[in-house]
Amino acid sequence: MSEPINIRLLGPGARIVLDDGAIAEIVSNPLDGVWVFARYLSSPADPARVGSEEMIFAQDIIEIQ
Amino acid sequence: MTAGKHGYRTGLVDMKAGQISREIFVNEEIYREELERLFARAWLFVGHESQIPKPGDFFVSGMGEESVILCRDRAGKVHVFLNSCRHRGMKVCRYDEGSTPVFTCPYHGWSYGTDGKLVGVPYFREAYHEKLDKSQWGLVEVPQLCLYKGTVWASWDPSAPPFLEYLGDFVRYLDLTLDGWDGSEGGTEILGGIQKWLIPCNWKFPAENFCGDSYHNISHRSVDLVGIGPSGSGRRDLQERLMARRLHVAFYDRGHQTGVYLFPNDQPMPPSYQHSPVVSEYFAHCEEERRKKRGEWARVIGSPGEIFPNTALHPRQPRTIAVWHPRGPHQTEVWRWYMVDSAAPPEVKDFLRDYYIRYSGPAGMTEQDDMENWNYAHAASRGTIARRHPYSYEQGLGFETERYEWQGLHIPGTVMDITEAKSSEHNLRNLYRRWAEFMEAESWDDLATWRVARAAE
Repeated sequence: MSEPINIRLLGPGARIVLDDGAIAEIVSNPLDGVWVFARYLSSPADPARVGSEEMIFAQDIIEIQ
Repeated sequence: MTAGKHGYRTGLVDMKAGQISREIFVNEEIYREELERLFARAWLFVGHESQIPKPGDFFVSGMGEESVILCRDRAGKVHVFLNSCRHRGMKVCRYDEGSTPVFTCPYHGWSYGTDGKLVGVPYFREAYHEKLDKSQWGLVEVPQLCLYKGTVWASWDPSAPPFLEYLGDFVRYLDLTLDGWDGSEGGTEILGGIQKWLIPCNWKFPAENFCGDSYHNISHRSVDLVGIGPSGSGRRDLQERLMARRLHVAFYDRGHQTGVYLFPNDQPMPPSYQHSPVVSEYFAHCEEERRKKRGEWARVIGSPGEIFPNTALHPRQPRTIAVWHPRGPHQTEVWRWYMVDSAAPPEVKDFLRDYYIRYSGPAGMTEQDDMENWNYAHAASRGTIARRHPYSYEQGLGFETERYEWQGLHIPGTVMDITEAKSSEHNLRNLYRRWAEFMEAESWDDLATWRVARAAE
């Protein structure tokens, strides 16, 4: 298991890797330590998601690029 | 002793004799029933719009025992939500106030927009297979909300009459707290933060006190001797007592009541706030303007009152709204909001802040006197023997006036003129009369009696 990431430190523009291999860019951070708003840059599991904005759960984030 | 659903009007609250059983203050079962029959049905004060000026702003308030979130969504609409996650009930907001785009439950991570919609569910795709219908799992919202001159009121009962109907003509007395001192509509704001503290007594002790219990003035004699008032003597500017009619006003069908001073025609208002020339001049100017704007009604000067069941009004010195939150039969959590004209100069606001907290709140000298009484009265009423003996509310019983008028001005409500009598328990009886009706009524059909009377006309 990778080290937990403090998502409260992630500002707009930061790139994150998700556990399903998707890469997304932070749009805004409500600083609740649980969610960030991000736009998908790539999504091998579901290419239709690319370009869409979603709330990303902290535990799905495995890496900061 | 068990009251059951009936017996409130015929035994525990005896309006004919003017006696009330101590059980209604100390009995656990009665308290549980109050939460259902009063606090889940009546209109309750939640906060003030000036506490949430911008989209995303929130203020955590209370309705009965329950925590609620007063917030303004991204579109600017005001909402009141139960502060409890729909998944496992955790509080979704644990701050007193602030600004946020979402309310996120720290337990499992469900997240809600400021419009209450469920927007974030962890593992929505993986664990729920996108089958959870998010539209059905938003925050629980009050079915009825009313914004009135900046104040925010809510009721959990969708069948309760609209707030202004709930008030009836009593709205004119509420306006004495919410309108500017110069008589302008609304125009008040909250001064500073909200004071919150616990008192070991039943919530009805402070509620009845603020209905206009003028009999307990002896308790405040020490404060009067200290002279905390804004002109350096007493605890308030009380010169109006020398020239005005002093009235207790009750609305039998609504359960609201207040004290008022009714000034004679063409009588100048005595000077006030003489400790500060700036403040004194401000109020003298406002009084002049108020008389121009309000005409005859400007002769009515506010005094402590209560909107049923647990919102206290203190329209003048100091100008505050208090809520008596029930915290079990033996404890009350008081929340006190201080009001001031938005347009008042900073010197006036500063002066009033100092005076207000000198008077009210947990450190206020006048409120400390009250708290001591409620605390010990409650404790001394809990015992087996004490419970057998009712309290007396007989003062002035039978001396009420239905259509009171003085020097051409009719005063809405049932009035007790206490100018010569000095005191009455007319308003206190009204609180308990309505309390008993609420405790027995099965629905708003039984409570909105004015609708029946209107239909019969």
